[in-house]
Amino acid sequence: MFSNTWNAIVDWFRDRSERNKLIRSFNESARDSFVAGIAPTLLKAKISKGESSYRHQFSNWLNTGFRIQAFTGRELSKDELVYIGKVILNDSVLVRRLIVLGWDTLEIHGDKGQYGCRWQLKDYIPLPNFNENTNE
Amino acid sequence: MKTLMNDTIILDSLKVVNNVLLNTTETNQTINWWFWVSILQFIFIVYLLLSKKNELKVNRKQKFKSESLKQNIDFDNIINSSFHSISLYDELKVKCHPDRFTTDKGKNAIAESLFQEITKNKTNVKKLLELKEEAKNKLNINF
Repeated sequence: MFSNTWNAIVDWFRDRSERNKLIRSFNESARDSFVAGIAPTLLKAKISKGESSYRHQFSNWLNTGFRIQAFTGRELSKDELVYIGKVILNDSVLVRRLIVLGWDTLEIHGDKGQYGCRWQLKDYIPLPNFNENTNE
Repeated sequence: MKTLMNDTIILDSLKVVNNVLLNTTETNQTINWWFWVSILQFIFIVYLLLSKKNELKVNRKQKFKSESLKQNIDFDNIINSSFHSISLYDELKVKCHPDRFTTDKGKNAIAESLFQEITKNKTNVKKLLELKEEAKNKLNINF
Protein backbone atom coordinates (compact mmCIF):
# COMPACT_ATOMS: atom_id res chain seq x y z
CA MET A 1 0.00 0.00 0.00
CA PHE A 2 2.74 2.46 1.02
CA SER A 3 4.93 1.45 -1.90
CA ASN A 4 2.01 2.12 -4.27
CA THR A 5 1.54 5.61 -2.85
CA TRP A 6 5.26 6.26 -3.06
CA ASN A 7 5.35 5.02 -6.68
CA ALA A 8 2.40 7.29 -7.54
CA ILE A 9 4.25 10.31 -6.13
CA VAL A 10 7.46 9.43 -8.00
CA ASP A 11 5.46 8.87 -11.22
CA TRP A 12 3.77 12.24 -10.86
CA PHE A 13 7.13 14.03 -10.68
CA ARG A 14 8.55 11.94 -13.53
CA ASP A 15 5.53 12.74 -15.72
CA ARG A 16 5.91 16.45 -15.06
CA SER A 17 9.55 16.27 -16.04
CA GLU A 18 8.73 14.30 -19.22
CA ARG A 19 5.99 16.79 -20.16
CA ASN A 20 8.37 19.72 -19.80
CA LYS A 21 11.06 17.85 -21.72
CA LEU A 22 8.67 17.19 -24.61
CA ILE A 23 7.55 20.82 -24.79
CA ARG A 24 11.16 22.00 -24.64
CA SER A 25 12.31 19.58 -27.38
CA PHE A 26 9.44 20.64 -29.64
CA ASN A 27 10.15 24.33 -29.16
CA GLU A 28 13.90 23.86 -29.70
CA SER A 29 13.30 21.98 -32.96
CA ALA A 30 10.79 24.59 -34.12
CA ARG A 31 13.17 27.42 -33.29
CA ASP A 32 16.14 25.77 -35.00
CA SER A 33 14.08 25.04 -38.13
CA PHE A 34 12.87 28.63 -38.24
CA VAL A 35 16.37 30.05 -37.77
CA ALA A 36 17.80 27.70 -40.43
CA GLY A 37 15.04 28.75 -42.83
CA ILE A 38 13.57 25.25 -43.09
CA ALA A 39 10.27 26.33 -41.58
CA PRO A 40 8.72 29.61 -42.80
CA THR A 41 6.69 29.96 -39.60
CA LEU A 42 7.75 29.75 -35.99
CA LEU A 43 5.77 27.18 -34.05
CA LYS A 44 5.56 27.22 -30.28
CA ALA A 45 4.11 24.52 -28.07
CA LYS A 46 2.65 25.17 -24.64
CA ILE A 47 0.32 23.63 -22.13
CA SER A 48 -3.28 24.84 -22.14
CA LYS A 49 -6.43 24.14 -20.17
CA GLY A 50 -7.78 21.56 -22.62
CA GLU A 51 -11.30 20.29 -23.14
CA SER A 52 -12.78 18.39 -20.21
CA SER A 53 -15.07 16.26 -22.41
CA TYR A 54 -12.03 14.76 -24.17
CA ARG A 55 -10.79 12.97 -21.04
CA HIS A 56 -9.29 9.47 -21.17
CA GLN A 57 -7.66 7.01 -18.77
CA PHE A 58 -4.32 8.86 -18.69
CA SER A 59 -5.71 12.41 -18.53
CA ASN A 60 -4.32 14.77 -15.93
CA TRP A 61 -6.57 16.61 -13.50
CA LEU A 62 -5.71 20.02 -14.89
CA ASN A 63 -4.10 21.52 -18.00
CA THR A 64 -4.72 18.71 -20.44
CA GLY A 65 -4.32 20.68 -23.65
CA PHE A 66 -1.26 20.61 -25.94
CA ARG A 67 -1.42 23.91 -27.79
CA ILE A 68 0.70 24.81 -30.80
CA GLN A 69 0.79 28.44 -31.75
CA ALA A 70 1.98 29.44 -35.22
CA PHE A 71 3.60 32.87 -35.36
CA THR A 72 2.81 33.91 -38.90
CA GLY A 73 1.82 37.50 -38.33
CA ARG A 74 -1.41 36.88 -40.18
CA GLU A 75 -4.63 34.97 -39.61
CA LEU A 76 -4.17 31.32 -40.60
CA SER A 77 -6.77 29.70 -42.81
CA LYS A 78 -8.64 26.63 -41.65
CA ASP A 79 -6.78 24.42 -44.15
CA GLU A 80 -3.41 25.56 -42.82
CA LEU A 81 -4.44 24.88 -39.22
CA VAL A 82 -5.89 21.50 -40.13
CA TYR A 83 -2.76 20.51 -42.04
CA ILE A 84 -0.44 21.26 -39.10
CA GLY A 85 -2.84 19.29 -36.90
CA LYS A 86 -2.86 16.37 -39.32
CA VAL A 87 0.94 16.20 -39.36
CA ILE A 88 0.95 15.93 -35.56
CA LEU A 89 -1.91 13.45 -35.44
CA ASN A 90 -0.44 11.20 -38.15
CA ASP A 91 2.69 10.72 -36.05
CA SER A 92 1.45 7.84 -33.92
CA VAL A 93 4.54 7.86 -31.68
CA LEU A 94 3.98 11.50 -30.74
CA VAL A 95 0.24 11.04 -30.18
CA ARG A 96 0.92 8.01 -27.98
CA ARG A 97 3.46 9.99 -25.98
CA LEU A 98 1.06 12.91 -25.57
CA ILE A 99 -1.66 10.57 -24.32
CA VAL A 100 0.46 8.76 -21.74
CA LEU A 101 1.78 12.06 -20.42
CA GLY A 102 -1.76 13.19 -19.60
CA TRP A 103 -2.74 15.37 -22.55
CA ASP A 104 -6.11 14.77 -24.16
CA THR A 105 -6.57 17.79 -26.45
CA LEU A 106 -4.50 19.08 -29.35
CA GLU A 107 -5.03 22.75 -30.18
CA ILE A 108 -3.61 24.68 -33.12
CA HIS A 109 -3.81 28.47 -33.10
CA GLY A 110 -2.41 31.35 -35.07
CA ASP A 111 -1.00 34.43 -33.36
CA LYS A 112 -3.70 36.63 -34.86
CA GLY A 113 -7.44 36.17 -34.81
CA GLN A 114 -9.63 34.21 -32.45
CA TYR A 115 -9.84 31.16 -34.64
CA GLY A 116 -8.26 27.80 -33.78
CA CYS A 117 -8.78 24.08 -34.21
CA ARG A 118 -8.80 21.33 -31.62
CA TRP A 119 -8.83 17.55 -31.74
CA GLN A 120 -9.55 14.77 -29.30
CA LEU A 121 -6.30 12.77 -29.05
CA LYS A 122 -7.87 9.44 -28.06
CA ASP A 123 -9.59 9.29 -31.48
CA TYR A 124 -6.22 8.85 -33.17
CA ILE A 125 -4.76 5.94 -31.25
CA PRO A 126 -6.44 2.76 -30.03
CA LEU A 127 -6.19 2.74 -26.24
CA PRO A 128 -6.36 -0.72 -24.65
CA ASN A 129 -8.97 -1.42 -22.00
CA PHE A 130 -6.96 -1.76 -18.79
CA ASN A 131 -9.95 -3.07 -16.82
CA GLU A 132 -10.25 -6.23 -18.88
CA ASN A 133 -9.27 -9.50 -17.21
CA THR A 134 -7.07 -10.76 -19.99
CA ASN A 135 -3.50 -11.97 -19.66
CA GLU A 136 -1.70 -9.79 -22.17
CA MET B 1 -46.76 -23.10 58.91
CA LYS B 2 -47.94 -23.73 55.36
CA THR B 3 -48.34 -20.00 54.69
CA LEU B 4 -44.84 -19.30 55.89
CA MET B 5 -43.43 -21.98 53.60
CA ASN B 6 -45.36 -20.54 50.66
CA ASP B 7 -44.01 -17.10 51.43
CA THR B 8 -40.46 -18.38 51.48
CA ILE B 9 -41.01 -20.10 48.10
CA ILE B 10 -42.46 -16.92 46.63
CA LEU B 11 -39.60 -14.84 47.97
CA ASP B 12 -37.06 -17.28 46.60
CA SER B 13 -38.78 -17.29 43.24
CA LEU B 14 -38.80 -13.50 43.12
CA LYS B 15 -35.14 -13.46 43.98
CA VAL B 16 -34.31 -15.88 41.17
CA VAL B 17 -36.44 -13.90 38.68
CA ASN B 18 -34.74 -10.73 39.73
CA ASN B 19 -31.33 -12.32 39.23
CA VAL B 20 -32.30 -13.62 35.81
CA LEU B 21 -33.62 -10.23 34.77
CA LEU B 22 -30.48 -8.52 35.99
CA ASN B 23 -28.23 -10.94 34.11
CA THR B 24 -30.25 -10.59 30.91
CA THR B 25 -29.99 -6.82 31.01
CA GLU B 26 -26.28 -7.06 31.58
CA THR B 27 -25.77 -9.28 28.50
CA ASN B 28 -27.69 -6.82 26.33
CA GLN B 29 -25.65 -3.91 27.49
CA THR B 30 -22.19 -5.41 26.85
CA ILE B 31 -20.54 -4.84 23.42
CA ASN B 32 -20.40 -7.88 21.19
CA TRP B 33 -16.74 -7.70 20.35
CA TRP B 34 -16.73 -10.71 18.00
CA PHE B 35 -19.35 -9.11 15.81
CA TRP B 36 -17.21 -6.01 15.27
CA VAL B 37 -14.06 -8.06 14.77
CA SER B 38 -15.77 -10.03 11.99
CA ILE B 39 -17.04 -6.80 10.39
CA LEU B 40 -13.50 -5.37 10.41
CA GLN B 41 -12.12 -8.59 8.94
CA PHE B 42 -14.70 -8.45 6.15
CA ILE B 43 -13.81 -4.82 5.34
CA PHE B 44 -10.10 -5.69 5.29
CA ILE B 45 -10.65 -8.64 2.91
CA VAL B 46 -12.74 -6.47 0.55
CA TYR B 47 -10.01 -3.80 0.59
CA LEU B 48 -7.33 -6.37 -0.21
CA LEU B 49 -9.35 -7.80 -3.10
CA LEU B 50 -10.03 -4.34 -4.56
CA SER B 51 -6.40 -3.26 -4.25
CA LYS B 52 -5.29 -6.51 -5.92
CA LYS B 53 -7.69 -5.88 -8.79
CA ASN B 54 -6.55 -2.25 -9.05
CA GLU B 55 -2.90 -3.35 -8.96
CA LEU B 56 -3.41 -5.36 -12.16
CA LYS B 57 -4.92 -2.31 -13.86
CA VAL B 58 -2.11 -0.05 -12.64
CA ASN B 59 0.53 -2.54 -13.84
CA ARG B 60 -1.03 -2.68 -17.32
CA LYS B 61 -1.14 1.11 -17.51
CA GLN B 62 2.47 1.35 -16.37
CA LYS B 63 3.56 -1.18 -18.99
CA PHE B 64 1.76 0.75 -21.74
CA LYS B 65 3.26 4.00 -20.51
CA SER B 66 6.85 2.75 -20.28
CA GLU B 67 6.60 1.25 -23.79
CA SER B 68 5.37 4.59 -25.12
CA LEU B 69 8.10 6.56 -23.38
CA LYS B 70 10.84 4.36 -24.85
CA GLN B 71 10.12 5.43 -28.45
CA ASN B 72 11.97 8.38 -29.95
CA ILE B 73 10.18 11.31 -31.54
CA ASP B 74 11.68 13.09 -34.53
CA PHE B 75 10.55 16.67 -33.89
CA ASP B 76 12.65 18.07 -36.75
CA ASN B 77 10.78 15.86 -39.17
CA ILE B 78 7.42 16.90 -37.69
CA ILE B 79 8.23 20.61 -38.04
CA ASN B 80 9.61 20.09 -41.54
CA SER B 81 6.56 18.02 -42.55
CA SER B 82 4.18 20.73 -41.35
CA PHE B 83 5.37 23.04 -44.15
CA HIS B 84 6.98 20.94 -46.89
CA SER B 85 5.11 17.66 -47.13
CA ILE B 86 2.24 19.05 -49.26
CA SER B 87 4.47 20.12 -52.18
CA LEU B 88 6.54 16.94 -52.03
CA TYR B 89 3.43 14.77 -51.91
CA ASP B 90 1.88 16.63 -54.86
CA GLU B 91 5.05 16.10 -56.90
CA LEU B 92 5.36 12.41 -56.03
CA LYS B 93 1.72 11.54 -56.57
CA VAL B 94 1.89 12.90 -60.11
CA LYS B 95 5.26 11.40 -61.08
CA CYS B 96 4.74 7.98 -59.48
CA HIS B 97 1.15 7.42 -60.54
CA PRO B 98 0.68 3.84 -61.83
CA ASP B 99 -1.22 5.12 -64.91
CA ARG B 100 2.09 6.47 -66.24
CA PHE B 101 3.48 2.93 -66.50
CA THR B 102 0.69 1.08 -68.26
CA THR B 103 2.96 -0.46 -70.92
CA ASP B 104 5.48 -2.00 -68.49
CA LYS B 105 3.76 -4.44 -66.08
CA GLY B 106 6.75 -4.73 -63.74
CA LYS B 107 7.09 -0.99 -63.33
CA ASN B 108 3.35 -0.67 -63.01
CA ALA B 109 3.33 -3.02 -60.02
CA ILE B 110 6.23 -1.11 -58.40
CA ALA B 111 4.46 2.20 -59.05
CA GLU B 112 1.27 0.78 -57.54
CA SER B 113 2.97 -0.17 -54.26
CA LEU B 114 4.98 3.09 -54.20
CA PHE B 115 1.84 5.12 -54.75
CA GLN B 116 0.13 3.36 -51.84
CA GLU B 117 3.11 4.11 -49.58
CA ILE B 118 3.17 7.74 -50.74
CA THR B 119 -0.52 8.16 -49.91
CA LYS B 120 -0.03 6.49 -46.53
CA ASN B 121 2.87 8.78 -45.60
CA LYS B 122 1.66 11.99 -47.18
CA THR B 123 2.39 14.03 -44.03
CA ASN B 124 5.85 12.60 -43.40
CA VAL B 125 8.63 14.38 -45.31
CA LYS B 126 11.36 11.95 -44.23
CA LYS B 127 9.44 8.94 -45.52
CA LEU B 128 8.44 10.79 -48.71
CA LEU B 129 12.10 11.59 -49.45
CA GLU B 130 12.98 7.91 -49.01
CA LEU B 131 10.16 7.00 -51.41
CA LYS B 132 11.43 9.61 -53.87
CA GLU B 133 14.84 7.95 -53.89
CA GLU B 134 13.18 4.57 -54.35
CA ALA B 135 11.18 5.93 -57.28
CA LYS B 136 14.35 7.35 -58.85
CA ASN B 137 16.12 3.99 -58.62
CA LYS B 138 13.31 1.62 -59.47
CA LEU B 139 11.22 3.63 -61.91
CA ASN B 140 14.00 5.78 -63.43
CA ILE B 141 12.07 8.98 -62.83
CA ASN B 142 13.92 12.26 -63.16
CA PHE B 143 12.76 14.73 -60.54
